[in-house]
This record gives sequence, structure tokens and C-alpha cells, in this order.
Amino acid sequence: MTAQSFDRFLLLSVDLTAFEKTELLGTGLAHQYLAKVRAACGDEVFTALLAAHRLARADAVRDAGSCDRTLLDRALRHRIFSDDRLGPVARNVIKLWYSGTWYGLPPEWTDSYGAHTAAETSTVTAASYQEGLLWRAIGANPPGAKAPGYGSWAQPPRIDARYLKRATK
Amino acid sequence: MTASTIDNRDHLISYLHAAMALEHATIPPYLTAYYSIHPNTNSDAAHIIRVVAVEEMLHLTLAANVLNAIGGTPDLTRPGFVPSYPAYLPDGDDKFTVDLEPFSLHAVGKFCLIEQPRQAPSASSRLVPAPDSGGSFLASSPTIDGMRYYSIGEFYAAIIEGLEKVAAVDPRLFCGNPARQVGPEYFYSGGGAVIPVTDLDSARRALSFIADQGEGLDSGLYDEDGELAHYYRFRQLELGRYYQVGDLADSPSGPQLRVTWDDVYPVKVNARLADYPPGSELAEAARNFNADYGTFLALLTKAFNGQPSLLQDAIWYMFRLRDAFTRLVRNPLPGSDGLHAAPTFEIPTAFESDPDVARTGGETAEAVPR
Repeated sequence: MTAQSFDRFLLLSVDLTAFEKTELLGTGLAHQYLAKVRAACGDEVFTALLAAHRLARADAVRDAGSCDRTLLDRALRHRIFSDDRLGPVARNVIKLWYSGTWYGLPPEWTDSYGAHTAAETSTVTAASYQEGLLWRAIGANPPGAKAPGYGSWAQPPRIDARYLKRATK
Repeated sequence: MTASTIDNRDHLISYLHAAMALEHATIPPYLTAYYSIHPNTNSDAAHIIRVVAVEEMLHLTLAANVLNAIGGTPDLTRPGFVPSYPAYLPDGDDKFTVDLEPFSLHAVGKFCLIEQPRQAPSASSRLVPAPDSGGSFLASSPTIDGMRYYSIGEFYAAIIEGLEKVAAVDPRLFCGNPARQVGPEYFYSGGGAVIPVTDLDSARRALSFIADQGEGLDSGLYDEDGELAHYYRFRQLELGRYYQVGDLADSPSGPQLRVTWDDVYPVKVNARLADYPPGSELAEAARNFNADYGTFLALLTKAFNGQPSLLQDAIWYMFRLRDAFTRLVRNPLPGSDGLHAAPTFEIPTAFESDPDVARTGGETAEAVPR
């Protein structure tokens, strides 16, 4: 794995999960997740996914070089999510980051594009459950891990302002 | 130099402020080493560091209790309360730096030095000159410029003597409101109970407890409750073996202790905000940590100023700090040759000091709209 493909995997993951790069690296699991995705869907599909993401990013660039979120959303749907080969993999990458579990790809997918050994549902490491982004997203701790401390339950969930609907950002 | 540096209540108050700063100053280095350890590895080492760090929090609370007992006003938000790292600590006639560094044999060596018992050769050599080294010198005399203590143990011995001396001439020394005391109902750590301070006897017990639990003058491997002193806890990591009762100082004979020194995030030693790429997400995360830590110190200040029940909020606040801490140390610090980020503990001075309205407020109270 090159440093470049790691960076590209991170950028893809930022767009797929809506979490910042710092937060993804903060799970300590980005390298393991990349290895998992790659083993599950194979090098060819993995490379195609990263390439499609770069094209989607290019589609969304405005004149000044800034990224238009609406265009990016459309380009991701067009180039990745609606693609029979890349769509299911991308959805599973999202689930992987959020739940810490790699979900097996659907049978239609493996029938068409090949069954890799790691295509079955599995947990990546013991830490991946604890580091699932879903807990951050709902402002809760993973039950049974990362104890939040006595009395913490009296506090409202701590959801980052930018994820709230009324958020301006 | 043999003249006493503590003659009255004001002197005592400034010494106890210094004691609180000193007790707190050891916590960020312990936490940096602790959180640099990869999750689910080095459980022996992590446990030892964690226990000591939590006991430093107890010491901080005890120092606050003594300060409150004589009518002082604990303040963890004043500039300089959190030292700039590297900070300096006394090692007899010498000194050493206390750093924010990853878990390593080097770091454990420093921890041993922090906790090492050292008695001055004579009463007259308790205070030694401290040439201005440009950094924070902990355990320096707050009443005599340019002088510092021979060791942390001597620093506490001086405070205890000062309390005795002032109490002998001022029967109203312990005039503090007892409601400001933090009692065991508000602080539970498992490593010794917190002692409410209302008179000379309880003040002496509180300060002796701090000294005996690790940093003070030698009182043997185990204290009267069978607790191993901090210095020897860390020595176990250097020697690769646990102590058991009856052991000599340099030859523990308990079970082997396994340390995997490589299972550690290589965080940058004494990282500063200036080391972070300007304007980056990561710099923002580091700044947020510092601001959160500042808010946390403001919360503790309130707890130590008549609202001890707020220490219950401090519990979950610390867990949130933990999560932010671990996220930072897992991030590589760009431009630092593969070294990782870590909190810098540069506490902003102009931040909102009321924990009720600071960062916890706006972001949390908002319900998710439908």
C-alpha cells in the first residue's frame, strides 16, 4: 500500500462519512480499514473506486478551485453510488467506518465481480466496535466500552453543531 | 539561607497555591505517556501510570483542602498554573526537565525522578539557589526570589513546619469555611481517601499523605495501608518485575511484568501549537483540547470554591477529555517526520472561565430538530 493510496482512501472516506480526516485518523484504524476493503473487494475494484472518487471531486470543482457541495453530492451519486460495481463497496465502506464491521458484499455483487476471501461479514479488530463513528454521530458511548463516567447520562448528547439541521456550516 | 521563608498566613497561602500547581503539573506528563500507549496493549504499564495519575489528582484535591482550611481561594485558572513544558523539577542540587513525552524507558526514568524520595543533607541546605532557567521551576519558593527546594519532599516538609509555626501564634489560622472542604463523598479514587482539613492535625495528615505516597521523604516501599509508593511503582517498569512485601528496593521478586515499548504512538515531545500546520483541522483539534482543558480547570476551581458536588461533573468531563486526547495522539503531525500529535496544554488565557456557558453549553444543549 502506498502513502498515496492511503491518502486517497482517507479523502474518499471523508466524503463518504462526513467526518473530518482528523477524526477518521483519530480512530487509529484507517490503515486496517483500508486493508480490509482492499482484501474484501480486490485490488482492481479498490483502485477503480479511488479513481471514481477523484473524478467526482474533479466534477465538483468550481472556477476558483473550491468544491461545490451540491455538485459533489451529485457526482458521487452518479459515479459511485449508482454504479453496480462500486456502489455496494462504497456503501460498505460507510458501514465499516460507522459500525466497525465489514459487511459481506451482496451475492449479486460477488456473482458478477468475484468472491474474495474477506467478503464475509467480520469485525476488523477488537477496537473497531469501540471506534465506530456511529457513537460519535449520536453523541453516545459504545455500550460496554469507553465508559462515559458517573452521572454523564444526565447530560444531553453532545452532537457537533455542524451535524444539526439548523447548522449554518 | 536557614531563615524560615514562611512567617504568616499569606506566605502559607502562596506556598499552597504553588503546591497545587506542582501537583497538577505532573498530571499532563503522566497522561501523555498513558494515552500514547496503543489501545489494548501494555496493560501492566498503563495500569501503573493511570493509578499514579489518579493519585496526583487526589494530591491536588488535598492541597486545595489545606488552602481552603486557612482561608485561601484555590484558582486553577490563573496564568501560569499550568506550566509551559518542559518544566523543571528539583533533583537535589541538580534539576531535571518534566516533559510531555510518549511512554518509553526514558519517560519512566523521568517519572522515577519525579517521585524519588530525596532528603536534604542538612536543614540549612533545604533551599538552594535556582538560577533563572527561562522555564517554569516547580517547587521553587514563592516567597524568596531565585530560591527553590532541594526536593519535593523538602518543599512539603517546609509547608508543614510553616503551618505548625504560624498555628502556634495564630489560633485563628484554620478559619476556612468547612463547607468548602472536599470530603470522601465527593472524591473516590481507590488510592487513598481524601482528608477534609479543619485544623493543624488534619492539615499535617493531608500533606504528609501527599509526601508519603510517592514524592516525599523516604518512608519505605509500602505505606501503612500496604500501598506501594509511586517511585517503586515506576521502578517495576524499569526492572520488569513487580514488588512484593518484604522485597529490597532494587530487587523486586514478584511476578514478571511485560512491557512492549514499541506499542506506542510516537508523539512529538513537548509539542506546541506552533508545531501544527496553521489553519489545519488538526491545529483546530489541538486548540479545542486546550480550551476544553481550560474550561475543565475552571470547573475544578468552582468545585474547590464551595461547590464540591461539581466534582461529579468533573468525572464525565475528564472522560470527554480522554476521548479528545486519544483522537489527537493517533493523528500523525504533518511535517514532523512521522511523529504524532499530542495535546500541548497551552491553556488560552482569555477563554470564558465560566464552565456553565463555555464550550459545553452551546454545542450540547441543542436538541436535534425534527
